[in-house]
Amino acid sequence: MHRVDRSIVKRSLFSWVFDGNLRWQVLLLAIIAVTVFTRVLPLELQKRIVNQAISLRKVDLLLTYCAYYLAAVLLSSACKYLINVMETHIAQQSLARMRNALYNHIITLPLSFFRNTQPGTVVNAIANELAVPSNFVGSAISTPVSNVLTLLAFAGYLIWLNPLLAVVSLSIYPAAMIVLPFLQKRANTANQQRVDLARTFAGRIAESIDGVHEIHGNGAYRIEMAKFSRLVEQLRKIRVVWSLYRFAVKSTNNFFTSLGPFLVFILGGYLTIKGQLELGSLVAFLSAQEKLYDPWKELIEFYQVYQDGHVTYDRTMEFFDVEPDYPLTPTDRKVFDLTPRLEVQSLSFFTDGGIRLLDDINLQLEPGEHLALVGFSGSGKSTLALCIGQLNKYSGGSVLIGGQEVSQLTKQDVAANVGMVSQSPFIFEGSIAENLLYACEAVTGDDGQRRPTLDDIIAVLHQTGLFVDVLRFGLNTLLTAETHADLVKDIIRVRRKFQEKHGEKLTDHVEFFEENAYLFHSNIAENVTFGAANRADFAQIALARNEYFLKFLEQSGLHRLLLNLGARLVRQTVDILGNLPPEAVFFEQSPMNADELPGYKIVVDHLRRRGLDDLPLPDRHRLLNLALRFTPGVHKMAALPADLQRLLLEARTRFREIISRDLPGVFTFYNKNDYIFSQTILNNILFGKAKAATPQAQEAIAQNIIQVLIERDLLETIVDIGMHYNVGTKGEKLSGGQRQKLAIARVFLKAPRLLIMDEATSALDNTSQARIQNLLETRWKRKSTLVAVAHRLDTVRNFDRIAVMKAGRIIEMGRYDELIARKGALYELVGRK
Amino acid sequence: MNSLDESSPTPSCEYQENLDTLRQTYFFSGLPLESLKIFAYLCTREKFGEGEFLFRQGEDDGEAFCILTGRTQLERTVQGATLPIRSCEPGEFIGGLTLIGETRRLYSLRALQPTVCLVLSRDKFTKTLDQFPGQRPRIFRAVVAAINGWEERFLEGMAEACGGCTSKLGVSLL
Repeated sequence: MHRVDRSIVKRSLFSWVFDGNLRWQVLLLAIIAVTVFTRVLPLELQKRIVNQAISLRKVDLLLTYCAYYLAAVLLSSACKYLINVMETHIAQQSLARMRNALYNHIITLPLSFFRNTQPGTVVNAIANELAVPSNFVGSAISTPVSNVLTLLAFAGYLIWLNPLLAVVSLSIYPAAMIVLPFLQKRANTANQQRVDLARTFAGRIAESIDGVHEIHGNGAYRIEMAKFSRLVEQLRKIRVVWSLYRFAVKSTNNFFTSLGPFLVFILGGYLTIKGQLELGSLVAFLSAQEKLYDPWKELIEFYQVYQDGHVTYDRTMEFFDVEPDYPLTPTDRKVFDLTPRLEVQSLSFFTDGGIRLLDDINLQLEPGEHLALVGFSGSGKSTLALCIGQLNKYSGGSVLIGGQEVSQLTKQDVAANVGMVSQSPFIFEGSIAENLLYACEAVTGDDGQRRPTLDDIIAVLHQTGLFVDVLRFGLNTLLTAETHADLVKDIIRVRRKFQEKHGEKLTDHVEFFEENAYLFHSNIAENVTFGAANRADFAQIALARNEYFLKFLEQSGLHRLLLNLGARLVRQTVDILGNLPPEAVFFEQSPMNADELPGYKIVVDHLRRRGLDDLPLPDRHRLLNLALRFTPGVHKMAALPADLQRLLLEARTRFREIISRDLPGVFTFYNKNDYIFSQTILNNILFGKAKAATPQAQEAIAQNIIQVLIERDLLETIVDIGMHYNVGTKGEKLSGGQRQKLAIARVFLKAPRLLIMDEATSALDNTSQARIQNLLETRWKRKSTLVAVAHRLDTVRNFDRIAVMKAGRIIEMGRYDELIARKGALYELVGRK
Repeated sequence: MNSLDESSPTPSCEYQENLDTLRQTYFFSGLPLESLKIFAYLCTREKFGEGEFLFRQGEDDGEAFCILTGRTQLERTVQGATLPIRSCEPGEFIGGLTLIGETRRLYSLRALQPTVCLVLSRDKFTKTLDQFPGQRPRIFRAVVAAINGWEERFLEGMAEACGGCTSKLGVSLL
């Protein structure tokens, strides 16, 4: 883990300005010096153009000075661009450093911190809020230095030209500094009132819309209108006041800006007439007046950036200014290799609010002994397990693992010696393999030599019952000719064997690719083409725009019918899913993906206003696309009319004839001797598709396929492919049971010396649960110490010891038979269950 | 006009039938259409062959079933012996409590004939209800009414016959 020398939360905003940016900032200062020079130089050139070139009618001088002028302007623009680029670089570099440092700090904070903190707060702080202070860091040196230097250089130059005129013309800025902030403050106050009132206003409208049935029911239109009108009036008034101040700021600013030239004209003109000021100097003064405004404005804006950055940074850092409970790694020793002897003495645990959850807990486990914690919900079982695993910081007493106090151990010590499976294990976005190796890699880092081998992984998959699940993921993978040419040949052999041995048995569960039958579990495009495209313009995603295919649909009388079907599908799907978040669970049974929903909502809106024939072409493409994806066996929001089904089947034969004649080779038609790259491995073996995703159907198919794969020695190859299956955000593509099995496999692979399982098998079916239980009793006993929070009392019989907990205390402890014979708390619990 | 044209009546689809079925269950009937249609969309139809289990005693399968066709039997296994409890008929909705919270089945449900059910998983139920938090009380009210109604019917019809078991009554007091 990346380490920072000092905690980010203790650092000031200014500390980021030079940290890692020193060379950039120095370079920036050099460019600023050039920029200031290029800004002042045109003033002197203007003076000389008037005084020397124009007055003396010297064209060569005019051209020379104008060339210098142009060069200065170009150089100034280039420098300004360069400054902006460097500011952006510094800001983005600082933002990346701040984000890394803050994330690094936040993930080490105690669990108690996260109980009171919404994930959104953390996300917002890291993703959004740090951008504001980093913008300040980017411009912290360049903006004030360049603008102050420019102002000073202008002022110095003007004083050098004519001290009196300079003092008079510059005197407007102190005046503006008094008046403008005053008006701006008023405008800000009015704006705040406007924002507050607008929020109330929006809330009132939303309330009226929500309760519109009540307004209708009571005929209370007049009352609602009166309430609304009052708010409208208040809003109107405050908006007027706000606008008046805003315009006052603008007008005053304009006034001061225009006052400058006036002073230069009246005094400068007088001095010029009197011969005390050259005409060229007067021009330079007028030009300087105009140019003074920009640095002045930039400085004022910079002050606002500083204020925003400073406030946001301080607020963010204050919020996360919490110390981690434990150091991450040992500094003066190696990570402990602890004997898994567990001693808990007089342990107590209080919540932050002072509520006692554990009291006077005492227990001792020798290495390899297994302890079950039982009791009602809330009795403190999980709290005790979390204290042992260092996830809860105990308030009193002692927990010793191998003689070392848990509260004194570093996180690395605990990670190396303790493994934990919680009731709701967390699975991260990534592949099965990444999640399996998560716990191991956290301990070993990049130490490739200590990584588990594929054999270790497959053994653990078998032990936890995850093997079949991973196999299934592998079977649901699409292969490509480039990467799996040999495997593809093997799969075709598997297909033949499978069809010979098991084909007929599975007709209830599998819809085979039969040329003369409509395929209800394949989509309409697949039903028509009955093959896999070998050209990108004939791939399924491109068919709705493919001129050849569209012409074929038109000639087959299908185009219009499919548009109608698309219209039905889009109306129904948007009606059902229109307001749902883009979660996989909602879109699995839909012909449209979550990211397509906004586009299809627009199509529905267009359909409401005009007929199918008047829809714009992109909308018609979308409807056709949706219809071509329609799979009656999966998408239940519309039915496939019998007539359309018949026409589609007829079109299949014709399409094959026509395209084989016109464009031979564009499609590989479904054929028992060819691999279909548009279909998964499973569908290729089945030469069809599974009719239902029910566990029974999957089990029946999997059992038969496994047999054939074992015979062909392909089982582990497919499992290896399945290991790359992406489990989705928070493992959303896995079932609850699969998530638990993965979490157990993860910890088994790490093989910790002390294993803590907190209702770790609660979501497993009976068979999987029995398998895990059996494994613990045979493979893990005497090797690893186990503390298991048990949710089922029939699983605790063979534990070395059972602790029955009630109200944060252990009320009895012993072997199962002893406790039952004693007829105490366990006996009562078993009886009640 | 072609029978498949846009203006022709929409042929009845499974989603519409699911919607009609759910509206007739005690569990979903009190819900407004906005959430009901999502449940109807997320339900799947599953077929069970004769002898197959819809769910097994002791497992937390997390699914609710509405039996559409076929015949099923509720069974309980005690010390290795399986006793039939009762048959469950088409139209019956089983597993509302399973949708609400994790619980292990006290019974097994086995198909006596090929059976078709509407199935909704807890995961789908929870994720949908998360979108309509205001509708949770309606579900709870429906469950409370069902539990109360069940015990009321039991007390009226069976209490006298059950003899000593009356001391164990009071599920509605939970």
